Amino acid sequence: MSQTQSLSTDTVVATRNARRTYYLGEPVHALDGVSLSLPAGSFTAVMGPSGSGKSTLMNLLGCLDTPDEGEVEIGGQRVTELSDSKRAHLRGTEIGFIFQTFNLMPRLTAAENVTLPMVFNNDVETGRRERAEQLLTRVGLGDRLDHVPSELSGGQRQRVATARALVNEPSLVLADEPTGNLDTDTGAEILRLFEELHAEGRTILMVTHERQVAEHAEQIVHLVDGEIAEVEQLDTDASNKRTVTTDETH
Amino acid sequence: MKLTESIRISWRAITGHKLRSTLTTLGIIVGIAAVITFMVLGGGLEQDVLGDINTEEDTGIQVVTQADTGFGGGQTQSVPIYTQSDVAAVSNVSGVESVTPSASLSAVQLTHGGETITGGSGSVYGVTASTSDRFESELYNLTAGEPFGAQNEAVVNERMVDLRNEVGGENLTLGDELTIQLQDGRQLNLTVTGIVDQNTGGGQPRVFAPLEYYDTSVETPSGDEERAYPALFVRAENVDQVETVKAALNDYLQNESAAAELKTDDQTIAVQTVEDAVDQFTAFLDQLQLFIGGVAGLSLFVGSIGIANIMIVSVTERTREIGIMKAVGAKKREVVQLFLVESLILGIIGAFFGVLLGLGVGYLALTVPGWPMVVPYGWIGIAVVVGVLVGVLAGLYPAWRGARVDPIEALRRE
Repeated sequence: MSQTQSLSTDTVVATRNARRTYYLGEPVHALDGVSLSLPAGSFTAVMGPSGSGKSTLMNLLGCLDTPDEGEVEIGGQRVTELSDSKRAHLRGTEIGFIFQTFNLMPRLTAAENVTLPMVFNNDVETGRRERAEQLLTRVGLGDRLDHVPSELSGGQRQRVATARALVNEPSLVLADEPTGNLDTDTGAEILRLFEELHAEGRTILMVTHERQVAEHAEQIVHLVDGEIAEVEQLDTDASNKRTVTTDETH
Repeated sequence: MKLTESIRISWRAITGHKLRSTLTTLGIIVGIAAVITFMVLGGGLEQDVLGDINTEEDTGIQVVTQADTGFGGGQTQSVPIYTQSDVAAVSNVSGVESVTPSASLSAVQLTHGGETITGGSGSVYGVTASTSDRFESELYNLTAGEPFGAQNEAVVNERMVDLRNEVGGENLTLGDELTIQLQDGRQLNLTVTGIVDQNTGGGQPRVFAPLEYYDTSVETPSGDEERAYPALFVRAENVDQVETVKAALNDYLQNESAAAELKTDDQTIAVQTVEDAVDQFTAFLDQLQLFIGGVAGLSLFVGSIGIANIMIVSVTERTREIGIMKAVGAKKREVVQLFLVESLILGIIGAFFGVLLGLGVGYLALTVPGWPMVVPYGWIGIAVVVGVLVGVLAGLYPAWRGARVDPIEALRRE
């Protein structure tokens, strides 16, 4: 199998023939050779049944995990070659996570949660409040800066988490079932927010198992048994459309 | 991550669980407070007893008889073995300026201002016969009046004044008349000329009367009947001669004196300079402090286990938070830092309040015996260092566990 394909300059994240195997008595290929390139500014959904490797792909792209075989490149850096703390740094600067369960720090205020990634990746302490205010205003929570998560609704919490994901201007926003814990209306609001972020030119990858959620993206990558089964292009207004490239040479 | 940031975040975690944090630090507070309290008490006792004694300049040497107790030196016994000939011989030793025999008189009752104080029911007091030379020693600290000069005069210590006050009626002051009934039937009428501080007199209420009232005699080895005393106070001519005189006294008393023959086998003749006496007392106090300090240190150890325990619980409880922090870029080192700072803060808070509490309790406790307050700066320093160390040590393992948390697993938790 040839892996000669060079990444285009505006590719932010790519996997090349990535394989991740868990040993549960016998080897289970959670990800069985996946090649995927996400161009800057793309909005991609990943769908697939339970156990298809969605989470594993997410962990690899989010730099939380490394492949057993193959490559993951984030912002031009090969993740497998990095030390533990370099990977942590990459995670903090290049990736913005949004989780199904929000994952906010319970004792920190909305503003402090938003700037948490700056605590670990940025020694400059000044201007954080302004940054938090700017981002929270952007997601419609300009009046909730000093509320702790328990004082916020589910939708508001996911907005705080979204603002946090953006704080370090990451190359890629990774959302794992971002609407999974929200009712339909609130979920729709979050998805509208994602579309706005996409329109601003941010690169988003969203994992979901709901078709109607995935349809907010430009394209859907269907995973089955740890492999990419299909990349489905969606008919959105095609003016600034960017498509993922996959490599199915094996 | 800057230290100020981790302090801010850790402080939030600590104040987020106020009751738990309070109970955790309580272990350290009690441990350190116990150590400080005992050190304050020990220091107060030492200052009280030794405060004004200038060991370097005192020319006094005391000769007493001790029975070996095996704990911190001997216990002083009152046996009349130093005969009049011994006294004469000692005063001829080169460098000796004066020799003052000292002895107890067996008093039955003491009358002052119409009130009678008997020796029973807790109000034990003593009457010592000696010459007034002894009041020149640094060990005897006259706080009022002057030494007795003639027959019919006496010096009392402050404890005696206190004892008199407890009985009620008139206060015992300079110029007052005391009537002391001795066991052998004699009655002494004494006028108080001076008051010495409360440490003089072996911790008991005591009256010091002229030596003329003492008349105990023993049969000497040579067969004569001679007056004999249970203790001698020798004064050297000058400070430089104290050690030489001490050696000469030792040589004579241990080998040639009548006392050496009169003492029993388990008794030892002890020749002590003021410095020796102070050293002996300090050594005893140090042993006591070490022992009590050790017990208090144990409670500090228990306190540190408390911190470690709660930190482990805290790490487990916050696994998800650790996952979040790691997902947004926290390195292992930074997770370790956060938890170490947290347990460090607990340790420092414990040390701080422990020191305050210890000083406070110590101060209150000192008012009971009336000892002076001596702030044990050294021990405060040690307490703070121990608090910090306890914090770090108790936090190491939990922090390491925290750093090992797998963010993927942690974030999957509900």
